[in-house]
Amino acid sequence: MSDALSKEQAVGVYRTMARIAATDQRIQQGLAAGALQFQYYPCGGQEAIPASIAPLLNDDDKSVITYRCIHDIVAKGTPIREIIAEMYGRETGTSKGKGGPMHLSDPNNGLMVTTGIVGAGAPIAAGIALGEQMKGSGRVVTCSFGDGAANIGAVHEALNLAALWQLPVVFVCQNNLYAEYTSFAESTRSESIAGRATAYGMAGEKVDGTDPFAIHAAATRAIARARAGEGPTLLECVAHRLQGHAFGSEEAHMDADKLAAARAANPVKRFRQRLIDSGFAEEAALAAIDAEVAQEIDDAQAFADSSQAPAASELLADVFASVADIPEVGKRPVMSAASIPDSAGRKIMYGQAINEALDQALAADDKVFLLGEDIEDPAGGIVKATYGLSTKYGRTRVRGTPISEQAIVGAAIGASMVGYKPVAEVMIIDFAMVCMDQIANHAAKLRYMSGGRTSVPITLRMLTAGNIGSFGAQHSQSLECWFAHVPGLKIVAPSNAADAKGMLLSCIDDPDPCIFMEAMRCYFVPGEVPEASYRVPLGQAAIAKPGTDITIISYSWAMQEAMAAAATLAEEGIDAEVIDLRSIVPLDLPSVLASVGKTGRALIVHAAVEFGGFGAELAARIQEAAWGSLKAPVARLGARYTPVPFAQNLEAMHFPNAEGVVAKARALMKA
Amino acid sequence: MAKMTLKLPKMATSMQNGTIVEWLVQPGDTVAQGQAIYVIETEKTSTEVESPFAGRITPLVAIGDLLPIGTPIAEIET
Ligand SMILES: Cc1ncc(C[n+]2csc(CCOP(=O)(O)OP(=O)(O)O)c2C)c(N)n1
Repeated sequence: MSDALSKEQAVGVYRTMARIAATDQRIQQGLAAGALQFQYYPCGGQEAIPASIAPLLNDDDKSVITYRCIHDIVAKGTPIREIIAEMYGRETGTSKGKGGPMHLSDPNNGLMVTTGIVGAGAPIAAGIALGEQMKGSGRVVTCSFGDGAANIGAVHEALNLAALWQLPVVFVCQNNLYAEYTSFAESTRSESIAGRATAYGMAGEKVDGTDPFAIHAAATRAIARARAGEGPTLLECVAHRLQGHAFGSEEAHMDADKLAAARAANPVKRFRQRLIDSGFAEEAALAAIDAEVAQEIDDAQAFADSSQAPAASELLADVFASVADIPEVGKRPVMSAASIPDSAGRKIMYGQAINEALDQALAADDKVFLLGEDIEDPAGGIVKATYGLSTKYGRTRVRGTPISEQAIVGAAIGASMVGYKPVAEVMIIDFAMVCMDQIANHAAKLRYMSGGRTSVPITLRMLTAGNIGSFGAQHSQSLECWFAHVPGLKIVAPSNAADAKGMLLSCIDDPDPCIFMEAMRCYFVPGEVPEASYRVPLGQAAIAKPGTDITIISYSWAMQEAMAAAATLAEEGIDAEVIDLRSIVPLDLPSVLASVGKTGRALIVHAAVEFGGFGAELAARIQEAAWGSLKAPVARLGARYTPVPFAQNLEAMHFPNAEGVVAKARALMKA
Repeated sequence: MAKMTLKLPKMATSMQNGTIVEWLVQPGDTVAQGQAIYVIETEKTSTEVESPFAGRITPLVAIGDLLPIGTPIAEIET
């Protein structure tokens, strides 16, 4: 295949550049007129980059881009009218007006993610490429980011993973020589970004990002490599920014002479002239294109102007696949009654139940795959949760990863966006901190930001080593509250083997991102578990012990303390009802309220730090909804306000225990 | 020919208000698209703002008042 632009292609590239420039100008016109009011990142100077790559991509090739996005999204084929409508927050916009200028999505044209988080698209792009590689589709993914983004950790993780797995992705670093108010030279000692490619073991190339012929030629090589299974390329396109960082931003930090020179060499005008000079096109033909583009922009504006703002019902739509899963008072999660087969007395441990669920999910659906650190045999995971599975299903479907949590979660997100159901292991929940952006800003929000056009059906397994002694402050936390504060995440915390299996399978089936919290304290505790595949629905609390005097609500390993306390209380004649919440989101508040309505007393017990913990949220909701039937204030018992200490005596004092639960319950009975 | 209303634009993330400190055009002037038409002062800086449209301009506000973003400030007959 020739890497030179044909005459026809070159004129097509010009048309795309003209459409980009006109869209960018129309948005800036709206901003200058005060009709639009938001922070806008113009793309002037960078038009040639995606315009010259576009002829090499099909509609079903995928792209992941950033907030400075208009050039990328127009080139990928999204109708301009949907872009303008999104700028005005209209229901006809790419994301129904719910994404805005930094979050356009158009999966029909392969535009999968536009992120406002610098560098965060790279792991997701790698994940989409992983999905396409596993499908054997021959499709390629392009991922745009800036020169500033090249210094972000997530980009490093993604480049390494993409090279390691030879993923079909082209990383397009659009080096516009500035990152906000900081120049390229002030950000790195690297002379070029492409030069880093060698260190990752991938191809790298640096081109003049204002020259369509050069960009097209380099992109032809990169895309051919990707389609041929020869792995990723880091393609750096250098194109001086023609304006400040955002609309209205000052330009004082930019070299005035270079800026003036770059403006004088405006790539769109220059390419237009070049087409004429080289005999590729007549002035009249280009003028006709310009006129068509002007008309298209006017039509797009009229389309946006005549479109409606989103309906009020859109506020809650697209947080989850189902509005009923939003944890608001009075909304009961809708679910099918659990039909759990008989266990016939078969007992296995919690950890084995997890392994069995993964095994059954892998067997039932070839779209399920596992990824994470050390999950392959012979290790089979640090607590053997995945033991035997890579041997049984192969290393494509049970894949060990480098120690790159952002890349692991990003890879899961990306693959899930193209039809897979990844189950990623983040080993210990404390490590979620290093990939929180992927979880909270991306997995949780992509459905909403895309107006429901994309979804992220992933399961993230995380383990806490709390209260088993010796793991200390960074391996023992219970962080459900961090996740609960981010709309869009489901949070599941089983306390026993049967729930662990049935809820893990429910998470894998679920259309939304699920955080599956495993507890080391429970791992080696046996329980009755049916052998067949079954589901325990999310959002359905269980009454672990019925009672009449006081309701104790707990989940995960703290359930062990709650149940032990209930036994002690029973000896004292206090009949506690113990509710295992099982999932934090969706939240089965109705079951809690029904119980508290009966007992008049509520005590919430969890392993997480009490201060600011989920118990506070639940207590407030109980108080609001059940005030009339309460005989005592709602009480909480969580961990003390300290990092988890190492010394066993101190760790025991830090975490709630049965004695503490008993003491609190007694006090409530006297109130 | 349409009458376009110009509103006080949002020039920076943090901007809520701005002051027009100078009109660079007279009422009834014909302006070109991209021509600087007024100078706006915000908390941080003062900036020349270019006309988004070409046409006959009528400023609607005097200089010196602190205006919230979105305030109509001029009309342009295109
Ligand atoms: C993780 C993160 N840090 C900081 C920001 C604020 N921010 C927005 S754009 C930007 C500059 C990024 O520069 P570059 O990657 O070169 O892309 P460009 O804006 O030049 O296209 C920064 C720091 C952000 N959005 N995300």
